[in-house]
Amino acid sequence: MTSKIRDSGGLGVILIALGFTILGTGTSIHRTTDFIIFCIFVLGFDLLYGHMGRLSFGHMLFFGSGAYAAGLLVRYITPHPLLALLAGICGGALVGGILGPVVVRATGACFALINLAFNQVGHFLALVAFAKVTGGEDGLSLTFSKIPFLNISNPKVFFGFTIFCLCLVYYFLKRLTSSPYGILLRTIRENETRAQFIGYNTFQYKWITFVISSSISAFAGALATLNYGYVNPSFIDPTRNVEVVFAALIGGAGSLYGAILGGVSYMVISNYLARYIPRWEIFLGLALLLLVFKFKEGIWGNILAVWKRRTQARSVNRT
Amino acid sequence: MISTLIYGLTIGGILYIISIGLSLTFGSMRIVNFAHGMVYTTGAYILIAALPFLHNNFFAGVLVAIVVVIPLSFIIEKFIIRRLYGESIDYAIIATYAVLLIGVDLVKWIWGTSPIPLSDPVGKSVTFLSIEVPLYRLIIIAISLTLCVGLWLFFKKTIVGKIIIAGLQDREAVRSLGISVDKYFSLVFVLGSCLAALGGVLYAPITTVHPYMGFHILLISFAVVIVGGLGSLKGTTISAFVLGMVMAITGRFWGPAAEAMVFAVMAVVLIYKPIEV
Repeated sequence: MTSKIRDSGGLGVILIALGFTILGTGTSIHRTTDFIIFCIFVLGFDLLYGHMGRLSFGHMLFFGSGAYAAGLLVRYITPHPLLALLAGICGGALVGGILGPVVVRATGACFALINLAFNQVGHFLALVAFAKVTGGEDGLSLTFSKIPFLNISNPKVFFGFTIFCLCLVYYFLKRLTSSPYGILLRTIRENETRAQFIGYNTFQYKWITFVISSSISAFAGALATLNYGYVNPSFIDPTRNVEVVFAALIGGAGSLYGAILGGVSYMVISNYLARYIPRWEIFLGLALLLLVFKFKEGIWGNILAVWKRRTQARSVNRT
Repeated sequence: MISTLIYGLTIGGILYIISIGLSLTFGSMRIVNFAHGMVYTTGAYILIAALPFLHNNFFAGVLVAIVVVIPLSFIIEKFIIRRLYGESIDYAIIATYAVLLIGVDLVKWIWGTSPIPLSDPVGKSVTFLSIEVPLYRLIIIAISLTLCVGLWLFFKKTIVGKIIIAGLQDREAVRSLGISVDKYFSLVFVLGSCLAALGGVLYAPITTVHPYMGFHILLISFAVVIVGGLGSLKGTTISAFVLGMVMAITGRFWGPAAEAMVFAVMAVVLIYKPIEV
């Protein structure tokens, strides 16, 4: 049954590129660029939540550290956009690497809360402590230098570039999660003690995964900085964590397609539906309750379930 | 110096009142309860709504706030928390966070987003070792210490308290004695929520009342609970007062850093004492 949909990542890349190109040309390129960046963030978050079973309630910290690393580099050192992306990824990896040993030792609720607490600290650092450098509440507005072949001030070029980035992240994660390493991650999710018992140093793997996840989130943050041309404390706001959690849940945790579907669904809801919803947070809260109690598998999980039922019915008919 | 001490004890007292509810819910139901922050905010807003009807009698307002919160927390327990038993702890976090979101938005809908200042309800201050200390602060410290002793007596001397403590330690064993543990745990939840509301109304005159007040204090209370050891009442008590002192001392040097310092302490504690949940 699964042999039909199994691929090494190439098919997914084509599907994603096609899907977002159609979405972008069909609706608005600006909005779709936002969607894509958010999807990268959800992919990074879901590596921790869906695959390793650790719910981080403070992933905006990494998104924000990527955004601020990119913004600070552009403001104070060089306005090169690709270097800014690189700085963003390194910034996220650095923060993840430093916090990792403290954070990954916790599980469940503690893991979520410690992340949230650090996010609060990061928000404070960006908003108050280093206000002179980061511009405090106003943030930094940035101008980037023009580089050959990649004029990021052209929305169409940047749109294409973000699709490329999303495909890159997808392909990387696809290979990562289908490798023995990915299986080990799921083992840690299901039963960490047994993974230790087989002889794996789970602490090390959890730390590495944490760093990868934070780097991808920081990558999304740096892309967002490039996209908007500014960075401000809303990029690191701890109250916005619920967005990515919501997206991962609605899409279906633990699958790459689910993460992308979830990212798109959340962005569609918040960009288009929000106009018709007078009380946004009440709506979000009720939708979350519904997801938790009735719709746990998410969109992708339900698609898979329908698919499974179909193929089973077909095989029963055949025999 | 004395005023910093008093300030630290005040904050510690408030943190104790709020965190003990969180610690109890965590210990009994293994649920991290974000809805606690919602109850806290609601308590403060109900106080503000009730004050004009009570001739600005602050302590009557406190009672009203606590009484209103009881049915509210009962509803949350019945429809949200009760369904989360046996679920993954992640879902509990998300579901109670959803309750917090709904509560915050309802508060914004009813009372608006702008912060509401509340004046010191006592207004007098006492001179203590040639330093002027607001009487209200001393009242808060007295209330929290009374609660401390009261809860200790409740858990040591009454049968209900003993059942709850036993349930915290081994739920199945208590159930096998023929005691309906869930009933007592919902009592714990309502008790914790009342304490959250009490913390909210007591803290309101010191800070301002705004819809997101619950979010910030909740994070600090979580830090208190984590530092004290999840589900441990004694640990929570000690860490509440210690972290209150940390906040007061940091705030004396640089006000905005007070919250961040709490989390720094938490990180240091976590490095030396990893938690097993």
